[in-house]
Amino acid sequence: MNGDVVTLAMGGGGKETNELIETIFKKHFENPDLTADDAAVLDFPPGKLAFTTDGFIVSPVDFPGGNIGKISVCGTVNDLACMGAVPLYLSCAFVIEEGFPVAKLDEIASAMEKTAAEAGVRIVAGDTKVAGKGQVDGVFITTTGIGRVMDGVHTAGSSAEPGDAVIVTGDIGRHGCAILLARNNFDITAERLTSDCAPLAHTVQDVLAATKNVHVIRDATRGGVGTVLYEIAHQSNVGIVLEQKNIPVNGEVKGVCGMLGLEPLYLACEGRMVIFAPEPEAPAILEVLRRGKYSEKAAVIGKVISDYAGRVIVNTEIGSQTMLPQPGGELLPRIC
Amino acid sequence: MCVGLAAKVVKVQDGTAVVDATGAQRTVSAELLDGLEPGDYVMVHAGMAIAKITSDETQETEKIMGALN
Amino acid sequence: MADCVKDGAAAAAEKILKSYSGRPLRIMEVCGTHTHEIFRLGIRNILPENIRLISGPGCPVCVTPTGFIDEAVMLALDHGCTIATFGDLVRVPGTEMSLAGARSKGAHIEVVYSPLDSVVYAGTHPGEQVVFLSVGFETTTPAACISVRQAKQKGLGNYSLLTANKTMDNAYAALKDSADAFLYPGHVSVITGTKIYERLRDEGVSGVVTGFTAGEILAALAVVVTEIQKGGPFFRNCYPRVVTDEGNVNALKLMKDTMIPVDAEWRGIGTIPQSGLTLNDSYAAFDARKKYALPKITGKPDPACRCGDVLRGECSPDGCACFGTACTPEHPVGACMVSGEGACAAYYKYGPGLALSADKENMNI
Repeated sequence: MNGDVVTLAMGGGGKETNELIETIFKKHFENPDLTADDAAVLDFPPGKLAFTTDGFIVSPVDFPGGNIGKISVCGTVNDLACMGAVPLYLSCAFVIEEGFPVAKLDEIASAMEKTAAEAGVRIVAGDTKVAGKGQVDGVFITTTGIGRVMDGVHTAGSSAEPGDAVIVTGDIGRHGCAILLARNNFDITAERLTSDCAPLAHTVQDVLAATKNVHVIRDATRGGVGTVLYEIAHQSNVGIVLEQKNIPVNGEVKGVCGMLGLEPLYLACEGRMVIFAPEPEAPAILEVLRRGKYSEKAAVIGKVISDYAGRVIVNTEIGSQTMLPQPGGELLPRIC
Repeated sequence: MCVGLAAKVVKVQDGTAVVDATGAQRTVSAELLDGLEPGDYVMVHAGMAIAKITSDETQETEKIMGALN
Repeated sequence: MADCVKDGAAAAAEKILKSYSGRPLRIMEVCGTHTHEIFRLGIRNILPENIRLISGPGCPVCVTPTGFIDEAVMLALDHGCTIATFGDLVRVPGTEMSLAGARSKGAHIEVVYSPLDSVVYAGTHPGEQVVFLSVGFETTTPAACISVRQAKQKGLGNYSLLTANKTMDNAYAALKDSADAFLYPGHVSVITGTKIYERLRDEGVSGVVTGFTAGEILAALAVVVTEIQKGGPFFRNCYPRVVTDEGNVNALKLMKDTMIPVDAEWRGIGTIPQSGLTLNDSYAAFDARKKYALPKITGKPDPACRCGDVLRGECSPDGCACFGTACTPEHPVGACMVSGEGACAAYYKYGPGLALSADKENMNI
């Protein structure tokens, strides 16, 4: 390819576009279902299908633990997994800023290839547009995914019940923290900190193979685990009690939150599920999770109660009770 | 008014110190404290190390409660 | 340095508090961080009915008068200055608008974590006139002093402070009758030392220097409750691992060399003599009021706002008619609702938790 940046011509639909597709996208996404036509024509197994879409505009595009390409696959795969679906096919649409480095685009596509392979999903259709300088920031990616819901699985945000255990599949807030530091707004470094960005299709499949008696699976993304808890408390009209000392938070996230006055429960994740299941199922679920690559630190962090519907309460480290403040508002470092 | 964070000093140079709070590191001003060494624990506020921490919080609380009787 | 887990000493403190059966006590937590932590740790739910914790004026953003925001807005919009500020100040209402409002009119606002960051910014942006909004008590003031000293050393002509720094010493006199005892601010005390509290004890005012972990707060409260029952004013340092008698000598000297005491207006309390700090003559060139010849501005807070009563401990946040309706963190009427350390903000976030019954059966997981 001539030159090392994306040009407007590459979005024009002609020779340059084809060259870009061949050398970047086709190279990384090649598979029998990847269409060269206007649409992919696919086979689906019988049963219920789950279908979802997500846009990705993370800045910076690179961060410790991943890049925008990896997240664009994880996000959509994980949304399908939340409904108990085995992800089958993805499409991806790119809007690229004129001047974006081609080598960087290659890295992004490579990450998508790797993540898709790990999740067992095929990228079958795509689109590329190039916008003028300043009309988009770097690259924006939208992925749409379809999967087949496993038989006997019925998860929904309104299905949490009093007595359910609240399980989180790993330590929280790492993605939000990694992005904060990658933006270098606060001159804080944490060399060992990486985003928790991960595809959780197999993680969820393993849990559902152990038991299908699971009420809610929701991935914690923007707004973190805390936001998910409030969403479920409202949707299911239940209260949630958290045990502060059980919530897994790694040292670096604790340190950054301490420096900036932030609450880890409200930092974004990109590879963490919150699972609500009847308490007797919890030990089996935890056992499966703790054997998994992305869920070694899984823990029961709370339970669902019938009182205080819509509220999230915390049993503090000294055994008193307090409310978890509701989500909302900007992230502003406290003066003192 | 007082939001402060306990952190461990990992490096001292030219009136600044690199401090580490369970893996998160930041350079802060060390001007207000004399004789800081790596390994010391300090209280940090608004980008400054304001005091050396001289004991563990549990020991301190036990001493205070002990003095009550 | 681990967070407090319920160990022997903290449990002993809790016992003392729960078994208190004397006359109703009012204990004032002066410091905004204490207000916040006490809520976050659910301390009020541990205390019996006859021990009441009230919030005081130790939130530097909350006690900053409305006129200060008006001065900052004027500097931003009329003089084109870049305003460097702690995040908390951005949404505090001024007479006409907040800094966030000014930003939507084109003002350049830079949120910083420390005044030291703002002088670095001034150094790397020589084309901008940078003004740091210098609010804070003795814990924060040394950093502002170092920033102007650095600006002077580097010959930066584009850096200045708009000062509203305050000292707590003379404020205690104004609060004397608001409470039976005080939880003195832990990190202000790191700087000032403890002689002031011994003087206050000799004048009949009781209190303890308090730390910030659950164990430290419970222990301090237990000490207050025990000492009160002995009768007679008292002072104890319950944060000795950080607070020394003489304080931080370097910080005290730094403030003395850079700033001078002035009378200062505290929102809701009025003018407290010699309770403010402003730059001394050798730093006149770094005083934004002198540099930009600002007129004297008397701000007009919203007449419905009861921040003043809240700051004196005379009104609980939920006793204000605006609380939760006209005044919320998204659209605050006064500073107490917008500052991260403000009593109203803390009440809004955590207040519903006060109604939690200690229904331990249901709560244990």
